[in-house]
Amino acid sequence: MSSPKPTPIISVSRVTKDFGSTRALRAVDLTVEQGEVVVLLGRSGSGKSTLLRHLDGLERPSAGVVEVLGEDVATLRPAALRALRGRVGMIFQRFELVPSLTVLENVLTGALSRLRGPRLGLWAYPRSLKLLAITHLERVGLLEKTYQRADQLSGGEQQRVAIARALMQDPRILLADEPVASLDPESSDQVMRLIREIAADDGLTVVCSLHQVDLALGWGDRIVGLRHGEVVLDTTTDGLGRAEVMEIYGRVAASTAELTAIETELGAIDVGDGVSVGTAARGGRR
Amino acid sequence: MTAARTTSRPPEADTAASLRRPRIPTSRIAGCSAVLFMLAFGVYSLTTLDFSWSNVAASTQNAVKVFSLMDPVSLPAPPDLAYLIGLTLGIVILGTVVAALISIPVSYVSAANTTPAGWLRVLGRAIGVITRAVPDVVLALAFSLAFALGSSLPGILAIGIHSIGMISKLFADAIEQIDHGPQLAVRAAGGSKAQEFWSAVFPQVLPSWIATVLHRFDINLRGSAILGYAGVGGLGYAMKVAFAQFPEGYGRGLGIAAVIFVLCVVLEIISSMIRSNLLGVDAVGNGLGGRILRAAGKRPPVRGQPPGGHVAALGVEAALRRPWTRARVRNLSWAWTAVAIVVAGYWMADVDFGQISWNYVVPTLQSFWPPNFGSHSLDEFAQALLVTVEVAFASAVLSLVLSLLVGSLAARNVAPNNAVRTTFRTILVIFRGVPELVLAIFLIMVTGLGNQAGVVALAFGGVGLLGKLVADSFEELPPGPERALSAAGATRSQRYLAATWPRGLPSLIGNSLYLVDTNIRAATVLGIVGGSGVGFYLTNASTVLTLHGQVTTLVIMVFGTVLVVEGIAAWMRRVFR
Ligand SMILES: Nc1ncnc2c1ncn2[C@@H]1O[C@H](COP(=O)(O)OP(=O)(O)OP(=O)(O)O)[C@@H](O)[C@H]1O
Ligand SMILES: [Mg+2]
Repeated sequence: MSSPKPTPIISVSRVTKDFGSTRALRAVDLTVEQGEVVVLLGRSGSGKSTLLRHLDGLERPSAGVVEVLGEDVATLRPAALRALRGRVGMIFQRFELVPSLTVLENVLTGALSRLRGPRLGLWAYPRSLKLLAITHLERVGLLEKTYQRADQLSGGEQQRVAIARALMQDPRILLADEPVASLDPESSDQVMRLIREIAADDGLTVVCSLHQVDLALGWGDRIVGLRHGEVVLDTTTDGLGRAEVMEIYGRVAASTAELTAIETELGAIDVGDGVSVGTAARGGRR
Repeated sequence: MTAARTTSRPPEADTAASLRRPRIPTSRIAGCSAVLFMLAFGVYSLTTLDFSWSNVAASTQNAVKVFSLMDPVSLPAPPDLAYLIGLTLGIVILGTVVAALISIPVSYVSAANTTPAGWLRVLGRAIGVITRAVPDVVLALAFSLAFALGSSLPGILAIGIHSIGMISKLFADAIEQIDHGPQLAVRAAGGSKAQEFWSAVFPQVLPSWIATVLHRFDINLRGSAILGYAGVGGLGYAMKVAFAQFPEGYGRGLGIAAVIFVLCVVLEIISSMIRSNLLGVDAVGNGLGGRILRAAGKRPPVRGQPPGGHVAALGVEAALRRPWTRARVRNLSWAWTAVAIVVAGYWMADVDFGQISWNYVVPTLQSFWPPNFGSHSLDEFAQALLVTVEVAFASAVLSLVLSLLVGSLAARNVAPNNAVRTTFRTILVIFRGVPELVLAIFLIMVTGLGNQAGVVALAFGGVGLLGKLVADSFEELPPGPERALSAAGATRSQRYLAATWPRGLPSLIGNSLYLVDTNIRAATVLGIVGGSGVGFYLTNASTVLTLHGQVTTLVIMVFGTVLVVEGIAAWMRRVFR
């Protein structure tokens, strides 16, 4: 590269993560520069969610170092870790709004890291923050839903509320774990466009895991492929075609049959959510 | 392949093999023996408690004498009555609220998904188990030393501590059942543990918590009459005082008993109404309240209209003003009503912290440890426990027999016609509505008998519970086998015995054991009124500071017994699945 290299905003080096006997990540190296939009690809169980959780300090590496915004996540004290999480917004496949609260209150929970003590009810938040939250709601196009219960909204709307909640954190980094996997194509389009727009306007760094290769190609600046917890692909999307992704990802793609197999592995053919073991999806639903 | 093999053998051998009875597993045999043993013990208890017809006749004479001598049923003067009702409600409200407040941290550390540490979780569960094991009336007796005479604080504290067991358990269960996602989202946004709880967990569990508190309020109100025997003011105490004067007080005592009964029913209706209206949960109670509510056909109101587009039109500043939707008005008025009720409870219960003798508080708490037998022996306590257990079993057996009769006739698929079913369903509802402790006190007073009256009272309550379960479990059975038998020309009673009965049996055994379990706890408390069994020793030991070690011993013994019954019940459920 010709331009001087800026300090990375995210730097993951030789990170390994074990859950009991399962190795979710194997010596993962990943460096993300300020303002990059990175897509994580990989089939179910490849470690996408685990990697993203490390970037928000929700998980500590078994080995290796995770540095986010210049801080080593594993060594932070609780208060500093919370402050760091405050600078990193996170969006989930299942939105994870509190169903019985109003949209506004859900957005306001994004500001909690800046507030001392617990908050219950709208009146517990200062007027300035409420104003800010409403501004964010306007930005995601949901101003008229401000006082509606979160569970009365459609999936796409809920995800947009979740984006507003993340914006409320005033984040430098936005992490998204399969943000559109439970949405219909139309809302999914809307949400992906919104994330891209916001990233561009606010100069956010984005790391987003996706299932769909086609979506990833048209959307991200860079694609990182994971397989069995290993990074097997890391490339910019400039002039990259679908077949090329497949080729690089699968190292050799000699026959069409093999290509199809790799495609399946990448999750391009979405088998639906029943097999998903993502952390957000696992959250104790019965 | 199998076909080939069967044809190669003579067909008769095959039929014979299939006819041979499968071996009955030993666990099954043990289970059946245990059931028979417990039935036998129940019948034995009935006889050993002198539950003879001559005794019944004697007590009937007694009752007749009482009724002929006593004044007509009367009520206290309206202002007095209002005061007594207010005092009782105030104590029960405050006690329940205190328990609910303490239960919040207890459930927080007890729930697997919120507990900060494993040992705290064990501690939380232990607090729940211990507080549930000590009857509130025992607590009230024990606390009375630390408070001025006539203070309502011992009652509030007693209810408050005893109720923690059930409330914190149900609170923690609710926490464990929530969706953890929102909690994770708050954590990911940099929220602290406390913020996670109040922003993501609490809003999710609130409806179920409110339902739990209301439910416990009903239970506490039904049990409050007995607190009068520990000197806690209110309707129970007034009833005790009235019944202490024979014959002139009996009319009034009966009147007060009726008031308690009506109060229980009215408040059950109100609490079911709140539960269904506010929470959008259907009335689930099997008591009078739920019934009346369902009969009235009230549906939860429609959700508030979403705020209209005017907000969008007016922009961000205007959006700060929250529109007064119906949902908002409703929620706010419920919240303020709840606050008003608690404040009113505080006022009605006459709480006066000046009545605490602080120098007694610490010695009172210390006095419960270590457990000991005082001047009594293990043998005496064991004998007393046996009597209490006998009361529990005897009433359970009576309930079982009556429930099979009443419950069967209340089941749609057994009752000969709908009129019979309705009649017996109504009988069951009425039985359930009667607070059995009030009934027991009344019977003990009127018949002059202790254990026998207790058995009858518990049996009544048991029929309400068990009879309904019998009826429901029969109605839930798939109708196939009965149809098959009636197609084969079987009579109604043949169908009942051959098809309905055997299949309803497993759940009946489980429910009967559950009844024994609750009866042991209730019989302990009744012994305090009737002066028999464990209750007798509990009464004596609770009121003297230096004897409190015996209270601990007795409570442990009762609790151990309950645990054994629960263990047997769990085992039976596995055997008869
Ligand atoms: N908390 C955990 N405990 C045990 N194993 C875990 C845990 N979290 C993840 N794993 C395991 O780590 C591996 C990677 O899981 P991860 O959730 O990161 O996959 P993913 O790529 O996000 O999959 P999906 O597309 O289904 O969401 C899986 O084998 C999973 O079972
Ligand atoms: Mg995942």
